[in-house]
Amino acid sequence: MVSIAILGTGPSGCFTAQALVKALPDARIDMIDALPVPYGLIRYGVAADHQGTKAVIRQFERLFERSDVRFFGNVRVGSDIALDDLTGMYDAVVMAFGLRTDRCLGIPGEGLAGVYGSGQVTGAWNDMPGVEPAQIGKRVVVIGNGNVAVDLIRVLAKGPEEFHGSDLSLAHTQALMAAGVERIDVVGRSPADQAKFDPVMLRELGRLTQARISVQGAEGEGKLIEALQGIDGHAPEGATREIAFRFGWTPEALDGTDHVTAARFRRGDEQLTLPCDTVLTAIGFTGDTPATDDAGAVSPGLYATGWYRRGPRGTIPENRADAQQVAARIAADLAGTATTKPGRDALSARVPQAVTYAQWQAIDAAERAACPADRCRQKLTTTEQMLATARQTGDL
Amino acid sequence: MQIALLYGTETGNAEMLAEDIAAHLSDHDASVTNLSDFDPADFDTDTFYIVVCSTYGDGELPASAQPFAEKMEAQKPSLDGIRFAVFGMGDSEYPETYNFGGKRMEELLAGAGAELVGERVTHNASGDDMADDLALPWVDDILAQADA
Repeated sequence: MVSIAILGTGPSGCFTAQALVKALPDARIDMIDALPVPYGLIRYGVAADHQGTKAVIRQFERLFERSDVRFFGNVRVGSDIALDDLTGMYDAVVMAFGLRTDRCLGIPGEGLAGVYGSGQVTGAWNDMPGVEPAQIGKRVVVIGNGNVAVDLIRVLAKGPEEFHGSDLSLAHTQALMAAGVERIDVVGRSPADQAKFDPVMLRELGRLTQARISVQGAEGEGKLIEALQGIDGHAPEGATREIAFRFGWTPEALDGTDHVTAARFRRGDEQLTLPCDTVLTAIGFTGDTPATDDAGAVSPGLYATGWYRRGPRGTIPENRADAQQVAARIAADLAGTATTKPGRDALSARVPQAVTYAQWQAIDAAERAACPADRCRQKLTTTEQMLATARQTGDL
Repeated sequence: MQIALLYGTETGNAEMLAEDIAAHLSDHDASVTNLSDFDPADFDTDTFYIVVCSTYGDGELPASAQPFAEKMEAQKPSLDGIRFAVFGMGDSEYPETYNFGGKRMEELLAGAGAELVGERVTHNASGDDMADDLALPWVDDILAQADA
Protein backbone atom coordinates (compact mmCIF):
# COMPACT_ATOMS: atom_id res chain seq x y z
CA MET A 1 0.00 0.00 0.00
CA VAL A 2 1.55 3.28 -1.11
CA SER A 3 1.20 6.60 0.70
CA ILE A 4 0.57 9.81 -1.22
CA ALA A 5 0.39 13.37 0.10
CA ILE A 6 -1.41 16.11 -1.83
CA LEU A 7 -0.57 19.66 -0.81
CA GLY A 8 -3.57 21.87 -1.41
CA THR A 9 -7.26 20.92 -1.37
CA GLY A 10 -8.55 23.17 -4.12
CA PRO A 11 -10.03 21.74 -7.31
CA SER A 12 -6.69 20.56 -8.68
CA GLY A 13 -5.68 18.79 -5.50
CA CYS A 14 -9.11 17.18 -5.12
CA PHE A 15 -9.33 16.08 -8.75
CA THR A 16 -5.84 14.58 -8.40
CA ALA A 17 -6.99 12.65 -5.35
CA GLN A 18 -10.09 11.50 -7.20
CA ALA A 19 -8.05 10.20 -10.14
CA LEU A 20 -5.55 8.53 -7.79
CA VAL A 21 -8.33 6.77 -5.89
CA LYS A 22 -9.46 5.25 -9.19
CA ALA A 23 -5.97 4.44 -10.47
CA LEU A 24 -4.57 3.15 -7.17
CA PRO A 25 -7.54 1.90 -5.11
CA ASP A 26 -5.26 0.68 -2.31
CA ALA A 27 -3.33 3.92 -1.95
CA ARG A 28 -3.57 5.88 1.29
CA ILE A 29 -3.95 9.54 0.43
CA ASP A 30 -3.52 12.50 2.77
CA MET A 31 -4.58 15.99 1.73
CA ILE A 32 -2.97 18.94 3.46
CA ASP A 33 -4.25 22.51 3.50
CA ALA A 34 -2.90 25.64 5.19
CA LEU A 35 -6.46 26.67 6.08
CA PRO A 36 -8.64 24.73 8.53
CA VAL A 37 -11.18 24.25 5.72
CA PRO A 38 -10.92 22.43 2.38
CA TYR A 39 -11.68 23.18 -1.28
CA GLY A 40 -9.53 26.25 -1.95
CA LEU A 41 -10.77 28.37 -4.83
CA ILE A 42 -14.08 26.50 -5.03
CA ARG A 43 -14.86 28.02 -1.65
CA TYR A 44 -12.84 31.24 -1.95
CA GLY A 45 -12.61 32.01 -5.67
CA VAL A 46 -15.83 30.89 -7.36
CA ALA A 47 -18.31 33.76 -7.00
CA ALA A 48 -20.74 33.65 -4.07
CA ASP A 49 -23.71 33.78 -6.47
CA HIS A 50 -22.48 30.79 -8.51
CA GLN A 51 -23.48 28.03 -6.13
CA GLY A 52 -24.06 25.63 -9.03
CA THR A 53 -20.36 25.80 -9.86
CA LYS A 54 -19.49 25.18 -6.24
CA ALA A 55 -21.59 21.99 -6.35
CA VAL A 56 -18.50 20.15 -7.60
CA ILE A 57 -17.66 19.95 -3.89
CA ARG A 58 -20.14 17.08 -3.62
CA GLN A 59 -17.70 14.96 -5.63
CA PHE A 60 -14.87 15.85 -3.30
CA GLU A 61 -16.85 15.01 -0.17
CA ARG A 62 -16.94 11.44 -1.48
CA LEU A 63 -13.17 11.26 -1.31
CA PHE A 64 -13.15 11.86 2.41
CA GLU A 65 -16.34 9.96 3.16
CA ARG A 66 -15.91 6.82 1.06
CA SER A 67 -12.22 6.44 0.21
CA ASP A 68 -9.02 6.20 2.20
CA VAL A 69 -8.43 9.93 1.84
CA ARG A 70 -7.80 12.05 4.94
CA PHE A 71 -7.96 15.81 5.41
CA PHE A 72 -5.20 17.54 7.35
CA GLY A 73 -6.30 21.18 7.61
CA ASN A 74 -4.51 24.00 9.40
CA VAL A 75 -1.12 22.62 8.33
CA ARG A 76 1.27 25.01 6.57
CA VAL A 77 3.89 23.39 4.41
CA GLY A 78 7.13 25.22 5.05
CA SER A 79 6.41 26.30 8.62
CA ASP A 80 4.47 23.44 10.26
CA ILE A 81 6.24 20.81 8.20
CA ALA A 82 8.96 21.05 5.56
CA LEU A 83 8.45 19.81 2.03
CA ASP A 84 11.57 17.64 2.43
CA ASP A 85 10.03 15.99 5.48
CA LEU A 86 6.93 15.15 3.45
CA THR A 87 8.89 13.68 0.55
CA GLY A 88 10.68 11.54 3.14
CA MET A 89 7.40 10.33 4.64
CA TYR A 90 5.44 9.64 1.44
CA ASP A 91 5.97 7.61 -1.73
CA ALA A 92 4.64 10.52 -3.76
CA VAL A 93 3.97 14.16 -2.94
CA VAL A 94 1.80 16.30 -5.22
CA MET A 95 1.99 20.07 -4.99
CA ALA A 96 -1.39 21.62 -5.81
CA PHE A 97 -0.82 24.98 -4.16
CA GLY A 98 -2.44 27.04 -6.90
CA LEU A 99 -1.41 30.63 -7.59
CA ARG A 100 -2.77 33.42 -5.48
CA THR A 101 -0.81 36.57 -6.23
CA ASP A 102 -2.68 39.07 -8.37
CA ARG A 103 -0.73 39.93 -11.49
CA CYS A 104 0.29 43.59 -11.72
CA LEU A 105 -0.46 45.96 -14.58
CA GLY A 106 3.06 47.36 -14.39
CA ILE A 107 1.94 50.97 -14.86
CA PRO A 108 2.38 54.12 -12.72
CA GLY A 109 -0.15 54.60 -9.94
CA GLU A 110 -0.81 50.95 -9.18
CA GLY A 111 0.09 51.51 -5.54
CA LEU A 112 -2.58 54.18 -5.02
CA ALA A 113 -5.37 53.59 -2.53
CA GLY A 114 -8.51 52.34 -4.23
CA VAL A 115 -6.65 49.96 -6.59
CA TYR A 116 -7.19 46.25 -5.96
CA GLY A 117 -6.48 42.94 -7.63
CA SER A 118 -9.35 40.55 -8.31
CA GLY A 119 -7.92 37.83 -6.08
CA GLN A 120 -8.11 40.11 -3.07
CA VAL A 121 -11.58 41.37 -3.96
CA THR A 122 -13.16 37.99 -4.62
CA GLY A 123 -11.27 36.40 -1.71
CA ALA A 124 -12.67 39.04 0.66
CA TRP A 125 -16.22 38.75 -0.74
CA ASN A 126 -15.88 35.00 -0.15
CA ASP A 127 -14.76 35.62 3.47
CA MET A 128 -11.29 34.19 3.00
CA PRO A 129 -9.47 34.53 6.34
CA GLY A 130 -6.92 37.33 6.46
CA VAL A 131 -8.03 39.02 3.24
CA GLU A 132 -8.87 42.72 3.63
CA PRO A 133 -12.05 43.78 1.83
CA ALA A 134 -11.74 46.37 -0.94
CA GLN A 135 -13.22 49.82 -0.26
CA ILE A 136 -15.54 50.13 -3.24
CA GLY A 137 -16.56 53.59 -4.41
CA LYS A 138 -19.21 54.93 -6.79
CA ARG A 139 -17.20 54.87 -10.03
CA VAL A 140 -15.35 51.63 -10.61
CA VAL A 141 -13.01 50.80 -13.48
CA VAL A 142 -12.57 47.06 -14.07
CA ILE A 143 -9.50 46.22 -16.15
CA GLY A 144 -9.59 42.77 -17.72
CA ASN A 145 -11.55 40.79 -20.27
CA GLY A 146 -12.03 37.40 -18.69
CA ASN A 147 -14.63 35.63 -16.59
CA VAL A 148 -13.12 36.90 -13.34
CA ALA A 149 -13.84 40.42 -14.55
CA VAL A 150 -17.44 39.38 -15.22
CA ASP A 151 -17.72 37.99 -11.69
CA LEU A 152 -16.56 41.35 -10.31
CA ILE A 153 -18.96 43.32 -12.53
CA ARG A 154 -21.91 41.14 -11.62
CA VAL A 155 -21.38 41.35 -7.88
CA LEU A 156 -20.83 45.13 -8.10
CA ALA A 157 -23.96 45.61 -10.19
CA LYS A 158 -26.45 43.44 -8.33
CA GLY A 159 -29.11 44.74 -6.02
CA PRO A 160 -29.59 43.13 -2.61
CA GLU A 161 -32.38 40.76 -3.67
CA GLU A 162 -30.21 39.44 -6.50
CA PHE A 163 -28.00 37.71 -3.96
CA HIS A 164 -30.75 35.45 -2.65
CA GLY A 165 -29.55 31.86 -2.48
CA SER A 166 -25.89 32.88 -2.53
CA ASP A 167 -23.41 32.82 0.33
CA LEU A 168 -22.42 36.47 0.08
CA SER A 169 -22.57 37.56 3.71
CA LEU A 170 -25.07 40.20 4.77
CA ALA A 171 -22.12 42.33 5.92
CA HIS A 172 -20.61 42.32 2.42
CA THR A 173 -24.02 42.85 0.86
CA GLN A 174 -24.62 45.89 3.08
CA ALA A 175 -21.14 47.26 2.36
CA LEU A 176 -21.74 46.94 -1.38
CA MET A 177 -25.12 48.65 -1.16
CA ALA A 178 -23.64 51.39 1.04
CA ALA A 179 -20.92 51.95 -1.56
CA GLY A 180 -23.69 52.84 -4.01
CA VAL A 181 -21.87 51.89 -7.20
CA GLU A 182 -23.14 54.14 -10.01
CA ARG A 183 -20.85 53.34 -12.89
CA ILE A 184 -18.67 50.38 -13.88
CA ASP A 185 -16.32 50.93 -16.81
CA VAL A 186 -14.93 47.67 -18.15
CA VAL A 187 -11.81 48.04 -20.24
CA GLY A 188 -9.87 45.38 -22.09
CA ARG A 189 -6.62 45.49 -23.97
CA SER A 190 -7.66 43.21 -26.82
CA PRO A 191 -10.35 43.79 -29.43
CA ALA A 192 -13.81 42.48 -28.59
CA ASP A 193 -13.55 39.31 -30.66
CA GLN A 194 -10.40 38.30 -28.78
CA ALA A 195 -11.76 38.91 -25.29
CA LYS A 196 -11.69 35.90 -22.97
CA PHE A 197 -15.25 36.19 -21.64
CA ASP A 198 -17.43 33.11 -21.92
CA PRO A 199 -20.58 34.13 -23.82
CA VAL A 200 -22.73 32.44 -21.19
CA MET A 201 -21.19 34.64 -18.48
CA LEU A 202 -21.92 37.78 -20.50
CA ARG A 203 -25.52 36.77 -21.09
CA GLU A 204 -25.92 36.39 -17.35
CA LEU A 205 -25.22 40.14 -17.10
CA GLY A 206 -28.19 40.66 -19.38
CA ARG A 207 -30.43 39.51 -16.51
CA LEU A 208 -29.22 42.13 -14.04
CA THR A 209 -32.18 44.06 -12.69
CA GLN A 210 -30.39 47.21 -11.52
CA ALA A 211 -27.92 47.96 -14.28
CA ARG A 212 -27.96 49.40 -17.79
CA ILE A 213 -25.31 48.03 -20.13
CA SER A 214 -23.58 49.62 -23.11
CA VAL A 215 -20.93 48.00 -25.30
CA GLN A 216 -18.59 49.92 -27.60
CA GLY A 217 -16.78 48.18 -30.42
CA ALA A 218 -18.48 44.78 -30.41
CA GLU A 219 -17.62 44.24 -34.05
CA GLY A 220 -16.85 40.98 -35.73
CA GLU A 221 -18.43 37.56 -35.70
CA GLY A 222 -18.95 34.65 -33.41
CA LYS A 223 -20.75 33.76 -30.22
CA LEU A 224 -18.76 36.18 -28.10
CA ILE A 225 -19.64 39.14 -30.32
CA GLU A 226 -23.28 38.01 -30.44
CA ALA A 227 -23.33 37.83 -26.65
CA LEU A 228 -21.83 41.32 -26.37
CA GLN A 229 -24.32 42.69 -28.89
CA GLY A 230 -27.08 40.89 -27.02
CA ILE A 231 -26.41 42.70 -23.74
CA ASP A 232 -25.73 46.09 -25.36
CA GLY A 233 -28.67 48.33 -24.54
CA HIS A 234 -29.90 46.26 -21.61
CA ALA A 235 -31.99 48.78 -19.70
CA PRO A 236 -34.14 47.47 -16.86
CA GLU A 237 -36.68 49.89 -15.48
CA GLY A 238 -35.41 51.89 -12.52
CA ALA A 239 -31.78 50.94 -13.07
CA THR A 240 -29.38 52.75 -10.77
CA ARG A 241 -26.07 51.65 -12.28
CA GLU A 242 -24.32 51.85 -15.64
CA ILE A 243 -21.96 49.24 -17.05
CA ALA A 244 -19.88 50.28 -20.08
CA PHE A 245 -17.64 47.89 -22.02
CA ARG A 246 -14.73 49.18 -24.14
CA PHE A 247 -12.17 47.17 -26.09
CA GLY A 248 -8.67 47.60 -27.46
CA TRP A 249 -7.44 50.05 -24.81
CA THR A 250 -4.01 49.56 -23.22
CA PRO A 251 -3.74 50.81 -19.62
CA GLU A 252 -1.14 53.58 -19.32
CA ALA A 253 -1.39 55.07 -15.84
CA LEU A 254 -3.58 55.47 -12.81
CA ASP A 255 -3.81 59.08 -11.62
CA GLY A 256 -4.18 60.41 -8.09
CA THR A 257 -2.14 61.75 -5.20
CA ASP A 258 -3.10 59.36 -2.42
CA HIS A 259 -6.24 57.80 -3.82
CA VAL A 260 -6.91 56.89 -7.43
CA THR A 261 -8.93 59.54 -9.30
CA ALA A 262 -8.69 58.38 -12.91
CA ALA A 263 -7.49 55.57 -15.14
CA ARG A 264 -5.78 56.45 -18.41
CA PHE A 265 -5.64 54.26 -21.52
CA ARG A 266 -4.25 54.46 -25.04
CA ARG A 267 -5.40 52.92 -28.32
CA GLY A 268 -3.01 53.86 -31.11
CA ASP A 269 -3.03 57.67 -31.11
CA GLU A 270 -6.24 57.90 -29.12
CA GLN A 271 -6.30 58.51 -25.40
CA LEU A 272 -9.02 57.72 -22.89
CA THR A 273 -9.30 59.02 -19.35
CA LEU A 274 -11.92 57.50 -17.09
CA PRO A 275 -12.53 59.35 -13.81
CA CYS A 276 -12.98 56.84 -11.00
CA ASP A 277 -12.51 56.22 -7.30
CA THR A 278 -11.89 52.46 -7.54
CA VAL A 279 -9.85 50.35 -9.96
CA LEU A 280 -10.16 46.57 -9.93
CA THR A 281 -7.72 44.57 -12.04
CA ALA A 282 -8.70 41.12 -13.28
CA ILE A 283 -5.71 40.23 -15.41
CA GLY A 284 -4.72 36.91 -13.91
CA PHE A 285 -2.56 35.50 -11.17
CA THR A 286 1.13 34.89 -10.81
CA GLY A 287 3.70 33.17 -8.65
CA ASP A 288 6.71 30.92 -8.90
CA THR A 289 6.03 27.54 -10.44
CA PRO A 290 8.43 24.60 -10.51
CA ALA A 291 9.91 23.12 -13.66
CA THR A 292 8.12 19.87 -14.48
CA ASP A 293 8.18 17.36 -17.29
CA ASP A 294 5.17 16.84 -19.57
CA ALA A 295 3.31 14.78 -17.01
CA GLY A 296 3.89 16.99 -13.97
CA ALA A 297 6.94 15.31 -12.39
CA VAL A 298 9.34 17.70 -10.65
CA SER A 299 11.82 15.16 -9.28
CA PRO A 300 11.51 11.51 -8.23
CA GLY A 301 8.51 11.28 -5.92
CA LEU A 302 7.54 14.96 -6.30
CA TYR A 303 4.86 16.24 -8.66
CA ALA A 304 2.94 19.42 -9.43
CA THR A 305 -0.60 19.86 -10.76
CA GLY A 306 -3.12 22.52 -11.66
CA TRP A 307 -2.28 26.21 -11.79
CA TYR A 308 0.85 25.56 -9.75
CA ARG A 309 2.07 23.40 -12.61
CA ARG A 310 0.75 25.10 -15.72
CA GLY A 311 0.29 28.68 -14.68
CA PRO A 312 -3.01 30.48 -14.07
CA ARG A 313 -4.86 29.24 -17.12
CA GLY A 314 -7.87 27.08 -17.46
CA THR A 315 -11.14 26.57 -15.70
CA ILE A 316 -12.23 23.75 -13.42
CA PRO A 317 -12.61 21.10 -16.19
CA GLU A 318 -9.18 21.85 -17.63
CA ASN A 319 -7.62 21.39 -14.22
CA ARG A 320 -9.50 18.12 -13.88
CA ALA A 321 -7.96 16.85 -17.10
CA ASP A 322 -4.53 17.99 -15.91
CA ALA A 323 -5.01 16.27 -12.57
CA GLN A 324 -5.95 13.02 -14.30
CA GLN A 325 -2.77 13.19 -16.35
CA VAL A 326 -0.58 13.76 -13.30
CA ALA A 327 -2.37 10.95 -11.44
CA ALA A 328 -1.76 8.55 -14.33
CA ARG A 329 1.94 9.44 -14.23
CA ILE A 330 2.09 8.84 -10.47
CA ALA A 331 0.28 5.51 -10.82
CA ALA A 332 2.78 4.43 -13.47
CA ASP A 333 5.75 5.56 -11.37
CA LEU A 334 4.45 3.75 -8.27
CA ALA A 335 3.53 0.51 -10.03
CA GLY A 336 5.13 -2.35 -8.15
CA THR A 337 6.51 -0.08 -5.39
CA ALA A 338 7.06 -1.93 -2.13
CA THR A 339 6.74 0.96 0.26
CA THR A 340 8.58 1.43 3.50
CA LYS A 341 7.36 5.00 3.96
CA PRO A 342 5.51 5.75 7.20
CA GLY A 343 3.02 8.15 5.55
CA ARG A 344 -0.04 9.03 7.60
CA ASP A 345 1.21 7.82 10.97
CA ALA A 346 4.29 10.00 10.74
CA LEU A 347 2.30 13.02 9.56
CA SER A 348 -0.30 12.66 12.32
CA ALA A 349 2.49 12.61 14.91
CA ARG A 350 4.09 15.72 13.45
CA VAL A 351 0.97 17.87 13.12
CA PRO A 352 -1.29 17.21 16.11
CA GLN A 353 -3.00 20.56 15.42
CA ALA A 354 -4.39 19.28 12.12
CA VAL A 355 -8.10 19.79 11.54
CA THR A 356 -9.80 16.53 10.57
CA TYR A 357 -12.57 16.02 8.03
CA ALA A 358 -15.06 15.39 10.87
CA GLN A 359 -14.06 18.74 12.33
CA TRP A 360 -14.51 20.42 8.95
CA GLN A 361 -17.98 18.84 8.83
CA ALA A 362 -18.71 20.55 12.15
CA ILE A 363 -17.57 23.89 10.69
CA ASP A 364 -19.68 23.23 7.58
CA ALA A 365 -22.73 22.41 9.68
CA ALA A 366 -22.23 25.53 11.81
CA GLU A 367 -21.98 27.71 8.70
CA ARG A 368 -25.15 26.26 7.21
CA ALA A 369 -27.04 26.50 10.48
CA ALA A 370 -26.07 30.11 11.11
CA CYS A 371 -27.11 31.53 7.78
CA PRO A 372 -29.99 33.96 7.21
CA ALA A 373 -33.11 32.82 5.36
CA ASP A 374 -32.09 34.04 1.92
CA ARG A 375 -28.52 32.76 2.06
CA CYS A 376 -27.24 29.18 1.81
CA ARG A 377 -24.31 29.66 4.18
CA GLN A 378 -22.73 32.14 6.56
CA LYS A 379 -19.02 31.42 6.46
CA LEU A 380 -16.86 31.62 9.54
CA THR A 381 -14.50 34.45 8.68
CA THR A 382 -11.39 33.83 10.79
CA THR A 383 -9.20 30.81 11.36
CA GLU A 384 -9.71 31.36 15.12
CA GLN A 385 -13.48 30.94 14.74
CA MET A 386 -12.94 27.86 12.58
CA LEU A 387 -10.53 26.28 15.04
CA ALA A 388 -12.85 27.04 17.96
CA THR A 389 -15.72 25.31 16.17
CA ALA A 390 -13.46 22.41 15.20
CA ARG A 391 -12.31 22.00 18.80
CA GLN A 392 -15.89 21.39 19.90
CA THR A 393 -15.68 18.22 17.80
CA GLY A 394 -12.90 16.07 19.20
CA ASP A 395 -9.46 17.02 20.37
CA LEU A 396 -7.31 19.51 18.60
CA MET B 1 -32.56 -6.78 -18.55
CA GLN B 2 -29.00 -5.61 -19.10
CA ILE B 3 -28.51 -1.97 -18.10
CA ALA B 4 -25.77 0.33 -19.32
CA LEU B 5 -25.09 3.78 -17.90
CA LEU B 6 -23.53 6.19 -20.40
CA TYR B 7 -22.28 9.49 -19.07
CA GLY B 8 -21.19 12.74 -20.63
CA THR B 9 -19.25 14.90 -18.22
CA GLU B 10 -17.06 17.97 -18.00
CA THR B 11 -16.36 18.41 -14.29
CA GLY B 12 -17.15 14.87 -13.13
CA ASN B 13 -20.59 15.52 -11.61
CA ALA B 14 -22.39 13.39 -14.23
CA GLU B 15 -19.80 10.65 -13.88
CA MET B 16 -20.38 10.49 -10.14
CA LEU B 17 -24.13 10.35 -10.60
CA ALA B 18 -23.81 7.56 -13.20
CA GLU B 19 -21.74 5.56 -10.73
CA ASP B 20 -24.29 6.18 -8.00
CA ILE B 21 -27.11 5.00 -10.23
CA ALA B 22 -25.14 1.86 -11.14
CA ALA B 23 -24.53 1.18 -7.44
CA HIS B 24 -28.25 1.67 -6.80
CA LEU B 25 -28.94 -0.91 -9.55
CA SER B 26 -26.46 -3.42 -8.19
CA ASP B 27 -29.00 -6.22 -8.75
CA HIS B 28 -28.78 -5.54 -12.47
CA ASP B 29 -25.00 -5.52 -12.69
CA ALA B 30 -25.20 -2.23 -14.60
CA SER B 31 -22.14 -1.11 -16.53
CA VAL B 32 -20.86 2.48 -16.45
CA THR B 33 -19.17 3.89 -19.56
CA ASN B 34 -17.87 7.33 -20.46
CA LEU B 35 -19.49 8.46 -23.72
CA SER B 36 -15.98 9.30 -24.92
CA ASP B 37 -15.25 5.55 -24.86
CA PHE B 38 -18.51 4.46 -26.47
CA ASP B 39 -19.07 3.85 -30.18
CA PRO B 40 -22.58 4.03 -31.69
CA ALA B 41 -21.86 0.64 -33.31
CA ASP B 42 -21.83 -0.83 -29.79
CA PHE B 43 -25.55 -0.20 -29.19
CA ASP B 44 -27.31 -3.46 -28.47
CA THR B 45 -31.08 -4.04 -28.46
CA ASP B 46 -30.88 -6.35 -25.41
CA THR B 47 -29.52 -3.51 -23.29
CA PHE B 48 -31.42 -0.62 -21.75
CA TYR B 49 -29.38 2.60 -21.83
CA ILE B 50 -29.50 5.29 -19.19
CA VAL B 51 -27.74 8.43 -20.36
CA VAL B 52 -26.55 10.92 -17.72
CA CYS B 53 -25.38 14.09 -19.37
CA SER B 54 -24.44 17.57 -18.20
CA THR B 55 -24.40 20.83 -20.13
CA TYR B 56 -21.36 22.96 -20.56
CA GLY B 57 -20.16 26.27 -21.93
CA ASP B 58 -22.68 27.89 -24.18
CA GLY B 59 -25.25 25.11 -24.03
CA GLU B 60 -22.92 22.59 -25.57
CA LEU B 61 -22.49 18.94 -24.85
CA PRO B 62 -19.82 18.34 -22.22
CA ALA B 63 -16.34 17.44 -23.47
CA SER B 64 -16.69 13.71 -22.89
CA ALA B 65 -19.92 13.51 -24.96
CA GLN B 66 -18.64 15.44 -27.96
CA PRO B 67 -16.70 12.59 -29.63
CA PHE B 68 -19.85 10.46 -29.38
CA ALA B 69 -21.97 13.16 -31.01
CA GLU B 70 -19.42 13.46 -33.82
CA LYS B 71 -19.51 9.69 -34.37
CA MET B 72 -23.32 9.75 -34.45
CA GLU B 73 -23.21 12.48 -37.11
CA ALA B 74 -20.59 10.62 -39.14
CA GLN B 75 -21.99 7.09 -38.87
CA LYS B 76 -25.70 7.94 -38.92
CA PRO B 77 -26.52 4.57 -37.36
CA SER B 78 -30.04 3.19 -37.19
CA LEU B 79 -30.96 2.75 -33.54
CA ASP B 80 -34.31 1.05 -34.17
CA GLY B 81 -35.13 -1.21 -31.26
CA ILE B 82 -32.79 0.60 -28.86
CA ARG B 83 -34.48 1.89 -25.73
CA PHE B 84 -33.02 4.62 -23.54
CA ALA B 85 -33.71 7.21 -20.87
CA VAL B 86 -31.99 10.53 -20.27
CA PHE B 87 -31.14 12.23 -17.01
CA GLY B 88 -29.85 15.73 -17.65
CA MET B 89 -27.83 17.99 -15.43
CA GLY B 90 -28.03 21.74 -15.71
CA ASP B 91 -27.69 24.98 -13.82
CA SER B 92 -30.61 27.38 -13.71
CA GLU B 93 -28.13 30.26 -13.36
CA TYR B 94 -27.92 29.88 -17.13
CA PRO B 95 -31.58 29.71 -18.19
CA GLU B 96 -31.02 30.20 -21.93
CA THR B 97 -29.09 26.95 -22.18
CA TYR B 98 -30.51 25.08 -19.20
CA ASN B 99 -30.08 21.33 -19.75
CA PHE B 100 -29.22 21.62 -23.43
CA GLY B 101 -26.81 18.68 -22.98
CA GLY B 102 -29.53 16.23 -21.93
CA LYS B 103 -31.87 17.59 -24.57
CA ARG B 104 -29.22 17.21 -27.27
CA MET B 105 -28.55 13.59 -26.25
CA GLU B 106 -32.24 12.82 -26.48
CA GLU B 107 -32.38 14.39 -29.95
CA LEU B 108 -29.31 12.47 -31.11
CA LEU B 109 -30.62 9.09 -30.02
CA ALA B 110 -34.31 9.55 -30.79
CA GLY B 111 -33.36 11.13 -34.12
CA ALA B 112 -31.56 7.88 -35.01
CA GLY B 113 -34.66 5.84 -34.22
CA ALA B 114 -34.12 4.89 -30.60
CA GLU B 115 -37.10 4.96 -28.24
CA LEU B 116 -37.12 7.30 -25.23
CA VAL B 117 -38.60 5.59 -22.19
CA GLY B 118 -40.23 7.81 -19.59
CA GLU B 119 -39.57 11.49 -19.21
CA ARG B 120 -36.24 13.22 -19.48
CA VAL B 121 -35.67 15.05 -16.21
CA THR B 122 -33.04 17.53 -15.18
CA HIS B 123 -31.18 18.15 -11.99
CA ASN B 124 -30.50 21.82 -11.27
CA ALA B 125 -27.05 22.41 -9.79
CA SER B 126 -28.27 25.69 -8.30
CA GLY B 127 -31.31 24.07 -6.69
CA ASP B 128 -31.64 22.61 -3.23
CA ASP B 129 -32.00 18.94 -4.21
CA MET B 130 -29.12 16.54 -4.36
CA ALA B 131 -28.82 14.89 -7.77
CA ASP B 132 -29.10 11.41 -6.24
CA ASP B 133 -32.33 12.27 -4.45
CA LEU B 134 -33.89 13.13 -7.78
CA ALA B 135 -32.19 10.50 -9.94
CA LEU B 136 -32.60 7.31 -7.92
CA PRO B 137 -36.43 7.40 -7.63
CA TRP B 138 -36.53 8.46 -11.29
CA VAL B 139 -34.45 5.44 -12.28
CA ASP B 140 -36.73 3.07 -10.35
CA ASP B 141 -39.72 4.56 -12.12
CA ILE B 142 -38.03 4.39 -15.54
CA LEU B 143 -37.07 0.74 -15.07
CA ALA B 144 -40.63 -0.12 -14.07
CA GLN B 145 -41.78 1.45 -17.34
CA ALA B 146 -39.04 -0.28 -19.33
CA ASP B 147 -40.00 -3.67 -17.89
CA ALA B 148 -43.68 -3.17 -18.59
